[in-house]
Amino acid sequence: MDFLAEGFRRAVALLLSGDAEVLGIALLTLKVAVVATILACGIGLPLGYFLATRRFWGRRAALTAVNTALAFPTVVVGLLLYGLLSRRGPLGGLGWLYTWQAIVIGDVLLALPIAAALSAAAVQGVDPRVRRTAETLGAGRWRTAWTVAREARFALAAVITAAFGQVVAEIGAAMIVGGNIRGSTRTLTTAVALYTSQGDFGLALALGLVLIAMALIVNVALQALQGKGDG
Amino acid sequence: MVELRGVRHRYDGRLVLNLDHFAVPAGALVAVVGHNGSGKSTLLRLLALLEAPTEGQVLWEGAPVPRRPPAALRRRVTLVEQRPILLRGSVRDNLGFGLQVRGVGRTAVNREVETVAEQFGLTALLERRRHELSDGEVQRVAVARALAVRPDVLLLDEPASSADRAAAGTLYRALAQERATRAERPFAVCIASHQLEDAYRWADDIRALAEGRLSPVTPENLFRVDLPAGTDGGDLKHARVGSIDIAVSTDRTGPVVLAVAPTDIFVSREPLPSSARNVLAGRVTRIAATRPGGGVVHVTADVGVELVAVVTAEAARDLALAPDAPVVFSFKASAVRVF
Repeated sequence: MDFLAEGFRRAVALLLSGDAEVLGIALLTLKVAVVATILACGIGLPLGYFLATRRFWGRRAALTAVNTALAFPTVVVGLLLYGLLSRRGPLGGLGWLYTWQAIVIGDVLLALPIAAALSAAAVQGVDPRVRRTAETLGAGRWRTAWTVAREARFALAAVITAAFGQVVAEIGAAMIVGGNIRGSTRTLTTAVALYTSQGDFGLALALGLVLIAMALIVNVALQALQGKGDG
Repeated sequence: MVELRGVRHRYDGRLVLNLDHFAVPAGALVAVVGHNGSGKSTLLRLLALLEAPTEGQVLWEGAPVPRRPPAALRRRVTLVEQRPILLRGSVRDNLGFGLQVRGVGRTAVNREVETVAEQFGLTALLERRRHELSDGEVQRVAVARALAVRPDVLLLDEPASSADRAAAGTLYRALAQERATRAERPFAVCIASHQLEDAYRWADDIRALAEGRLSPVTPENLFRVDLPAGTDGGDLKHARVGSIDIAVSTDRTGPVVLAVAPTDIFVSREPLPSSARNVLAGRVTRIAATRPGGGVVHVTADVGVELVAVVTAEAARDLALAPDAPVVFSFKASAVRVF
């Protein structure tokens, strides 16, 4: 157990010293996570609302597809994205392979099913009278959606938290399409994997602590945004 | 104003509404009576343009309504559900919601909210939230909220189900006031209720709905009764209606609505020996042809209660049916519908 205690001491020291490398990795991770969460939720939440409220041919199949995508292995997504972004791939011209943008795309692909499936479930959980009430009082499509979303705000905040949790903890796709390049595409998860394999347990643990702290801060912020009480 | 034509509406393949024609004319006060599950709420949702029928057409002022009606059209009709729900926010927010989504300015919204709150006795509750209100108060807020947007058609699903008598009185007075002040623009109200008293008191036109179909029964032939258990445990029961007993063949007991289709009543001048369990003697109170020179005549008679029968004009002539003439109405116990 000594190595654990030693690692923890090293982690605290690194964090307190404001190590530039740790800070750089943390900031990149935060940037990637925030952008990917915004994109995934920006597309996934409306998609979930659509799936939950509209009756159309193939709706059940679409819901099944989205739910299946929840269990998509991250390395497989990374591999497919690698194929698309590699020089010979259809999106090779973008030159995004081994950039932070590639990691964002991978994260969005992984978090999108979470945002869509869970928000569909959240909206389905809202009393259908809420939607009918908004509509019968004359609300248009967007105002109705907003009214329903307000009723499901706790569940939707949990969806955003889950999506953020997915992207911030993601490693498979980030490793494959990001390349874990120092100072460029090294995120907290890929760095933890790298330093652990190199035996630098203290640094890995320090980065792990930063990751946990980041998740904690985002969760606290989201909870504060939800507001208190009902009504 | 709004009408349904050839409507068959299904939920998960189950036919819940089957109407050849149903209309709420401009400025009319229509009541739809029927027991729970008769299709009243579905009917109101179709009239409110919240759902499109599986088959058939919804027409607004004679023009077909598209499957996804534009907001401008939807804004002319408002539905208050049987168990209404308040949206997030205060009573004030709820009362102003419909006006806000119509882009009405804040000052005008507040003014209108204060007016409608006073009309419904809600002024003291304006800052309360939904969890601070009783069921009756929620229902009042919901009706006030619907009325605040001044719809052309207001649809109320069991509006007095959670309200006490005084609150129901407030509601109906407010509706009457609204109708009186809206002379320049007709204001139609359609109330779905299982309470016949409501229907009789407030409606110009009453339709009965049973198992998704309109019953051909006039309001005179509808009776709310408490059915006792059969004397010998059988299905033949005698329900007290006014000063007479009506024999009914049903396995149901307790509070029900009895309906006798006017076409199921056999009209004669004297009691005739027959299998009919209901033979009721009385006097004709009114004779009305459906249209001048038409082949069908509605005969209203007081036989202890008021009943309407339909006979051909020829039969009416042969029987010399006229106001105050003696008449006998006969119908079988199995002809009495129970819902």
